[in-house]
Amino acid sequence: MEIKDYLEGIQKCDRAILGKSITLTESSLKKDKIKAEKLLSKCIHLKQKSLRIGVSGTPGVGKSTFIESLGRKLIKENYKIAVLAIDPSSNLSKGSILGDKTRMEHLVNSDLAFIRPSPNSGTLGGVSKNTKDAITICEAAGFDIIIIETVGVGQAETLVKSMTDILIYLTLIQNGDELQFIKKGILELCDIILINKCDQNHKKSKQVAVSLQNSLTYTQQKIKQSILVCSALNGFNITNIWEQIKTIEKQKNKQGIIKKNRIQQNIFWFKKILKDELYDLIKTNPKFKDVIDNFKNKPNTNPRTAVSKIIKKTFKEDLK
Amino acid sequence: MKKNIFLEKSSLFRKQSKKDWNKLNKTQKYFQIEDGKFDCIYFKDERKYSNTYCNNQNWEICVEIDLKTNKKANKDALNALKNGANSICFLNFNNHNLNIILDQIQFDILKINFKNIKTSLAKIVNQLIEIAVSRYGKNYKTKIQGFFHISHEDYKKFKDIISIINLQEKLPNYRLLNLEINKNNSMKEQFNNIEAIFQLMRNENYNSNFIISKDTIAKQLITFSYTLSNQFLYEISTLRAFRIAYEKKYKCTPIINCSINYNTSDDNSLIETCVKSIAAILGGTDMITIKYNEKNIQLYLMQQLILKYESNLHKVTDPLHGSYFIEYLTYHINNTKQNKIKIKKKNNFWQTFEGINIKSRYTKSTNKNIQHLNYGAGEPPFLRGPYSTMYSQKKWTIRQYSGFSTAEESNKFYKKNLKAGQTGLSIAFDLPTHRGYDSDNERVFGDVGKAGVAIDSIQDMETLFNGIDLSKTSVSMTMNGAIIPIMAFYIATAEKKGIKKEQLTGTIQNDILKEFMVRNTYIYPPAASMRIVRDIFKYTSQYMPKFNNISVSGYHMLEAGASADIELAYTLCDGLEYVRNGIQAGLKIDEFAPRLSFFWGVGMNFFMEIAKIRAARFLWSQMIAPFHPKNPKSLMLRSHCQTSGWSLTKQNPKNNITRTTIEALAAVMGGTQSLHTNALDEAIALPTNYTAKIARDTQLFLQNNTDICHAVDPFGGSYFIEKLTDELIHKAKKHITEIENMGGMVKAIEQGIPKLRIETSAIKRQTKIDSSENLIIGLNCFQNKEKTKIKILEIDNKKVQNNQIKKLTTIKKNRDNTLIKKALKNLQTACSNQDGNILELAIVAAKAQATLGEISNTLEKVFERYKAKTIINSGVYAMEKKNDKNFITAQKLTDEFKLINGRRPRILTTKIGQDGHDRGIKIIATSFADIGFDVDIAPLFQTPKEIVKQALENDVHIIGISSLAGGHKTLIPEIINLLKENNRNDIIVIAGGIIPELDYKYLKNKGVNKIFGSGTIVLDAAVEILNELLLKWK
Ligand SMILES: Nc1nc2c(ncn2[C@@H]2O[C@H](COP(=O)(O)OP(=O)(O)OP(=O)(O)O)[C@@H](O)[C@H]2O)c(=O)[nH]1
Ligand SMILES: [Mg+2]
Repeated sequence: MEIKDYLEGIQKCDRAILGKSITLTESSLKKDKIKAEKLLSKCIHLKQKSLRIGVSGTPGVGKSTFIESLGRKLIKENYKIAVLAIDPSSNLSKGSILGDKTRMEHLVNSDLAFIRPSPNSGTLGGVSKNTKDAITICEAAGFDIIIIETVGVGQAETLVKSMTDILIYLTLIQNGDELQFIKKGILELCDIILINKCDQNHKKSKQVAVSLQNSLTYTQQKIKQSILVCSALNGFNITNIWEQIKTIEKQKNKQGIIKKNRIQQNIFWFKKILKDELYDLIKTNPKFKDVIDNFKNKPNTNPRTAVSKIIKKTFKEDLK
Repeated sequence: MKKNIFLEKSSLFRKQSKKDWNKLNKTQKYFQIEDGKFDCIYFKDERKYSNTYCNNQNWEICVEIDLKTNKKANKDALNALKNGANSICFLNFNNHNLNIILDQIQFDILKINFKNIKTSLAKIVNQLIEIAVSRYGKNYKTKIQGFFHISHEDYKKFKDIISIINLQEKLPNYRLLNLEINKNNSMKEQFNNIEAIFQLMRNENYNSNFIISKDTIAKQLITFSYTLSNQFLYEISTLRAFRIAYEKKYKCTPIINCSINYNTSDDNSLIETCVKSIAAILGGTDMITIKYNEKNIQLYLMQQLILKYESNLHKVTDPLHGSYFIEYLTYHINNTKQNKIKIKKKNNFWQTFEGINIKSRYTKSTNKNIQHLNYGAGEPPFLRGPYSTMYSQKKWTIRQYSGFSTAEESNKFYKKNLKAGQTGLSIAFDLPTHRGYDSDNERVFGDVGKAGVAIDSIQDMETLFNGIDLSKTSVSMTMNGAIIPIMAFYIATAEKKGIKKEQLTGTIQNDILKEFMVRNTYIYPPAASMRIVRDIFKYTSQYMPKFNNISVSGYHMLEAGASADIELAYTLCDGLEYVRNGIQAGLKIDEFAPRLSFFWGVGMNFFMEIAKIRAARFLWSQMIAPFHPKNPKSLMLRSHCQTSGWSLTKQNPKNNITRTTIEALAAVMGGTQSLHTNALDEAIALPTNYTAKIARDTQLFLQNNTDICHAVDPFGGSYFIEKLTDELIHKAKKHITEIENMGGMVKAIEQGIPKLRIETSAIKRQTKIDSSENLIIGLNCFQNKEKTKIKILEIDNKKVQNNQIKKLTTIKKNRDNTLIKKALKNLQTACSNQDGNILELAIVAAKAQATLGEISNTLEKVFERYKAKTIINSGVYAMEKKNDKNFITAQKLTDEFKLINGRRPRILTTKIGQDGHDRGIKIIATSFADIGFDVDIAPLFQTPKEIVKQALENDVHIIGISSLAGGHKTLIPEIINLLKENNRNDIIVIAGGIIPELDYKYLKNKGVNKIFGSGTIVLDAAVEILNELLLKWK
């Protein structure tokens, strides 16, 4: 298939071609990578307005179920939505089970929804530039709302943050130290924190939400996070949450935060991709094999020396 | 917060003695077999003469070949050996050339026997030695072994030719003399005969200078042959009696060879030979001999192999040692007091799938700390049977589950079966009916009339029972999800026919909890479903006192791969939950507990299954006692059993006759009240008239041609079985307590725990089969390329659907719609309010001709349709397999594919239509992921369009479809067409599950790339698929 066929399909929102386009961006083959880059550069220009929502939380907290509930609501309001679900469990040595669709039965069967589960490509938490590319493609296809499901481990939140406009974090109340349970740092990143499965313990969930909200008053944020209880399973509070999302979006838009964010995000990704690609290039270039091998084998090599050797070799001209 | 839900006080239940038991019943208590008069039950204190034999655990399979030409004999022998025989007996040796006959036969590891020798013995012996020397050198003597079946009379004929001493020196491991154990002789006469022969032999050799001792004859020279009758219990006892007496008298174990004859032109013969073989094995035979017959030998050899490898009959020496009944019979036959025999202790264990260690021998001391031994039958805790006289008064009900296509067709079939001796009806509904959809619903395209009968309205129900007297015929209905409309139709139909609902007898499955664990044919969420169960309890206890309002089912768990202890525990937990539910509905325990019944699956592990059914009765009594029932029947667990469909194979379907017979026997020994025996083609398709008949005949044979029905719990008291029962009781208690600590079964289900446990168990089972740790004949060993063609029943479901739609249209046109509206409105109000009985109002709607879909939908408006939770546990397969060579190869192939394609092979695994059996597909999903596929899992109950949408979005390489309910011929081609429409016919479609081989061609023509039948080894399938992918992408 030619780039133009891909583009045509994407613009028509042809599911089969959307599916294949995302595959192209995920491929580890060189020829696919080249194609993907071309395709993406075209897609950027087709980009339409969309709202990007990240949904994060530990495994089993109810992310997929929440997306199903929220998605049902959005579809009723005639939004076109795309869901990108990244599987956390797989590692490089084996395949993965992509079961999120079983929790999104309604969305799966709706013409207004496109759901693409992806195995991670070995990165921590699973989010990577592939996800970013998939967003670009979905936006080009004209989806109004793009939801990214990912597990919150390590740096994953930062990465999700760097590709979404609004980040929702799901958590559960546990016995004892509820506040402790939410990792520090996450609070600052998230726009909405949901205490899920409140159907199991409504009163307690409410209490925790209130006390958490109180503790947040002290952190400095332009827009205050909201902390809400929710039952993804039976839909409790979903309407309210959607209102909240819209409010935050409005506020952020008004203050120009979304636009600013996206620029910053671009810079972030530019840096990250640059780093990754350069490193890859150098690592695989025979010219530097000596340096790297040398570095690897001798315990006393100074990393700085090794790097500057490589830089000298690469940027001879510029360094003069 | 551990609470004990078992009332374990030992004073709670009365210990039963013969006297107590006698008081329980006034009718006949004796029966006659052969020359003896026996009670139908024996007790612990009657086990005075408990005895065991020493030395036998495994038996050899010998094939008898009538010698014609040398070449042919050789060919036949090789064929028999290839198919699992480990001994050959040549008949009518007469100037044959042994060198040709034994060509390529490694007779240093086999027994080669001779019978009816027509020539001089010396000829055979010399030839034999010559060949042995040439093949195995001078040391041949210790290597070759066998029997010359020389009878008493023949012996005289041969005595001049070769002396025993002589022969003994040359062929020390050959036995020379064979004596027929004669049924008509008493054991005393039997032994007089033996003595006479010993004497004769010694006299014959008197001339030579050596005297052969009696010891040598007994230990090394003689064998016995025995032909069994159908008297199962009696034959076990006869063989035991002989062994024990012989061991006592000659201080060594006899070699007994049982011949089993079969009728070459009748498949029913397999039932008889199976039962006889089991009797021979449990009686301790050393060898089973079957005749060679070109046409059937393989079938009968496979029967032996199934007995050997699948049913674990020989893991314990003398497994029935200690059984009150068998020991009594044994004693009666021997009629002598026995000395104690010293047994050498061996300490090897065999571990069952449940994790129970089975020792090679069980004795009195094994049973020391067992609590339940003194309980009896017919009174709590019903360990040995719900009724005191069991089958001697009332045989179990032969209840064959069936139903297909339309009500008209099923009705015809039922009437025929009733005529043929079936004693109750058991109705299978099609999937749309189960899931509450009318046949005209677009979601059920492809499922109508498959795997059961389509019922849309009261009209269909009337047709279904046309000409069948519902006041006399007990009707069992397998219905859980759409229970309200179906019960309503049933009751309304009866009333329309002028039968009072009080007269109705039968069972409704109504076990919704297990649906959430295994079968997935639910409609509403757990809590709402329990409300429905409550209303049914209320209604039936008030109006239908003879009707069993629930059949708590373990069968489906077993089928889904659960081990026996899990099936036992979770089913009892479900039962307990229903009891609490009934109490919550305001019923008194005695108002409904006596009507509860249980439904077990019976698999191939013979003794385990017997123990399971016995353990269940005991546990249930302990679990219900805390509710303080006044009526002892409340404490009684009654069982229905079905032989396992999962244990059947599509390869060599006739082997399934053997499997089903073994399982049926176990169910009966466990004391079931009714039984369904599967048809041999159950693993392939719906049974045909022919296969249904064999299934029914299996039960008729057990009831009418054997002595099984005379005895109550005939294996009770066996040290092995009692210990096994005890271990299962303890294991189950652990599981039950765990579920209780989660807050009961409803809570546990909501957390998905039971389902996960069962699935883990299933994957483990699969790995054991894949790695041939568990052998299944014809599947992972003794595969046989020849295909047996059997006719299968085909349902034209388009026709059925059109027929149903037509009926629906007529009904909807002719009925009074204002009446319907009102009835449905009242029904809906009853659902939203807690008062008002849903069933009662549904009956009104049914009479007004509301359809199944309409009634079900009214409930759905209030309760909503439940969405399945799919939890997949990965890694289990890899854990069990990580060192398996094939597993590693498969992993490498996925890596190779990634290098070529840029990503891992990606497969969408799915079911289609309303078929919710997801065990198979889950095993595929986890194991494929562990192998290195990226596996997408589709939700259950998808239409072709929905499946294709997912395949496109996920951009998979393969769609893997599992079909168990027969919708494959319409639904799979539809998927392929849709792929084409989207220009994605590059996506490979594969299918698996229960697909008749006859349909393979059709499906392949439609574009299905590969079809994997039930019982495919997962790794093999994975490798095949990977190779296909690699080929395509290279
Ligand atoms: N009681 C209750 N259960 C819920 C709720 N939300 C989700 N669950 C259940 O929690 C389990 C996990 O839900 P998922 O939606 O798959 O969770 P997830 O976070 O997407 O999980 P991963 O994708 O595996 O990380 C499922 O069994 C859900 O049915 C809720 O609000 N209440
Ligand atoms: Mg998820």
